[in-house]
Amino acid sequence: MNGGFWRSAGLIALRDLRVELRSGEALTVVFPFAVVASWIAPLATNASPLLLRDLAAPVYWLITLLFGMMIVLRQTALETRAQRRALALTGLDPAARFAGRAGASGLVLAAVAGTLIVPVIIFYDYRPPSGGALMAPVIILASAGLAMLGTLAGDVTIGLRARTSLAPLLMAPLAVPLLMGAAQSLESLVAGKSIITWVLVLVIADLGLAAAGVMSARALEEISL
Amino acid sequence: MHPVKGCACRGPTRFSGSAAIPIHSKRVSRPPSIRPSSSSPPLVDLVDLSVSLGGSPVLSNCRLTLRPGESLGVAGPNGAGKSTLLGVVATFIAPTGGSGTVLGAPLAGPRIPAVRAGIGWSGHLPALYPDLTLGENLALSARLTGHPASRGQLVLEQVGLGGAAGIRAERCSNGMLRRADLARLLIGSPRLVLLDEPDAGLDRDAAPIIDHLIATTTRRDGAVLCVSHDAAKLSGWVDRVVEMRDGRIT
Amino acid sequence: MKKRLLAVLTGVALGVGLVLAFTSPPDLLQGDFVRILYIHVPSAWLAFLAFGVTAAASIGWLFTRRMSWDRAAEASAEIGVLFTAIALATGMIWGKPVWGTYWDWGDARLATTAMMFFVYLGYLALRRTTVDPRLRARRSSVLGAVAVVQVPLVYFSVKLWRTLHQGLTIRPDGIQMDGAMVSALLVNLAAFTLLYATLLVYRTALARMEEAAAAERAPARSPVTVPRLGEAEA
Repeated sequence: MNGGFWRSAGLIALRDLRVELRSGEALTVVFPFAVVASWIAPLATNASPLLLRDLAAPVYWLITLLFGMMIVLRQTALETRAQRRALALTGLDPAARFAGRAGASGLVLAAVAGTLIVPVIIFYDYRPPSGGALMAPVIILASAGLAMLGTLAGDVTIGLRARTSLAPLLMAPLAVPLLMGAAQSLESLVAGKSIITWVLVLVIADLGLAAAGVMSARALEEISL
Repeated sequence: MHPVKGCACRGPTRFSGSAAIPIHSKRVSRPPSIRPSSSSPPLVDLVDLSVSLGGSPVLSNCRLTLRPGESLGVAGPNGAGKSTLLGVVATFIAPTGGSGTVLGAPLAGPRIPAVRAGIGWSGHLPALYPDLTLGENLALSARLTGHPASRGQLVLEQVGLGGAAGIRAERCSNGMLRRADLARLLIGSPRLVLLDEPDAGLDRDAAPIIDHLIATTTRRDGAVLCVSHDAAKLSGWVDRVVEMRDGRIT
Repeated sequence: MKKRLLAVLTGVALGVGLVLAFTSPPDLLQGDFVRILYIHVPSAWLAFLAFGVTAAASIGWLFTRRMSWDRAAEASAEIGVLFTAIALATGMIWGKPVWGTYWDWGDARLATTAMMFFVYLGYLALRRTTVDPRLRARRSSVLGAVAVVQVPLVYFSVKLWRTLHQGLTIRPDGIQMDGAMVSALLVNLAAFTLLYATLLVYRTALARMEEAAAAERAPARSPVTVPRLGEAEA
């Protein structure tokens, strides 16, 4: 991996972010949808305040996973076959393409996940634990992992008619370590314990996914052309 | 269009050049000195190459050799396997039988990624991002191939879209997209240019873009492979036309 | 012929295992409930073995591009999903009287097994949706290889989670085992492993035949012909 790798990855990420900014789908469509979804638990539990506070964290991560998948998988569906072919003929390293796309998705996802805390605080009367700022790196690590996983799942199912349902099925069980690491970090924070162990779980999961993404990039490119 | 008789023909039906497009070299007639010599190593060499998709043969025992300076047209009816052949030469589709090399690299081999940057391809659907402007699209292609972003604007001007750089691709007409897609091939100087029905959607003014692309490529010892259902049109663009039917080159 | 022999051997081994499962002594604490062990443990072992083979075969395909690797990966995944389902179901049936609950969230093995079940269910769904054998092999080999990377991580994270929570006090692995029970279990493990080998051999042979049949059915020439509009009108 040299300067060219990161330069290409940056160009691809910039392209995806620009497209996302133009369409605004993550913020104007997916985000409101996620907010509406967060109402379901209060409506189904007679909104008992104590129960709601307990539900806040799990509901938050569940919504982040489900709507995060929506955002990431949509990102992977942006390219047409002709575009992927033209991109391959620029001599672009498929691993750089993976890094760029996952990077852009991760940024969008982190932004949406960060913003989602606000409705959870409002609707669930949730009080973030002291030292809540420590959640920022957790959200970023979890978003990066979900983005890489989603990019992989999207690429494996590329061009399939069933991909809208198949990709989430492939992605959700493999997201367990990420969600567990993220949710347990928050729990530890509330209990006043160290979150290092769980952050480490997130880091290992992210590294594993990054390695998988880079190593399978060539094989996945063959499918996509 | 009626299917063609299988013959190599060099027709006089070359499009009359239009000066409406500011392509630098305007009309180029190939000097006879560049006739392909059989000694130089081929840029494309397919030997008994076959491809089957989902178990059905799409290409059977195709033989094809393209040497530096050559331009070849492949004509044939719908479903003959022309686009698949182009996809194989463009390294998108791996052969299931036989063998072949493209720019010296064996197909489906480990050296393929390294030669891809030397291939220019324009398929029947434009490879542009609808949410990006034409300028951004071309600038992305330019920067990914190591050219300055301004090179994108330059080639847009060459194909007569200099004033359209700020328009998003989704708002462009089909013809504009085709021009912009061909402009992509003008960014670098690909040794191998592959065109799939290149004039589909192009107006008369834009037709010389194809002539220009083919002429400049062959002149600098590159090669061009162009497929179309229309043999008469092909013979106006390229040196030699072969026919394809049922996945075979005849 | 070898296939036939393997099948017969498997049948005999399973029969012996079944007899031993019913004649072995009942457990002091669990009574006859313990007999489910002789299906549950071998099924779980087969599931892990099968998914391990799928992962190895997927990686084998990625390196060699030989279709036989892909067939082995597919066959093994199918067997794995079947036996994971059996392991999960028998585990839940066993868990209710012994642990007092169908599902124990503290058990890392349970969670990992369930995750594998869903991943490989997805794997099989992915295979079903792709018609071209080579394309199918490409897609599924990447998934097969990526999934196996995540399995230890899931195991690890659930285990870690449990250490932070209160562990269960009565667990099957904490109970001393009688010698007759151990031998019954070992025989059943061997019988199930033979069953795996038999199913794998027959399933890969079937896959080969399926591919050959598909190639035969596929049209040999282009399905597009010259339009004959005049004839249709007349």
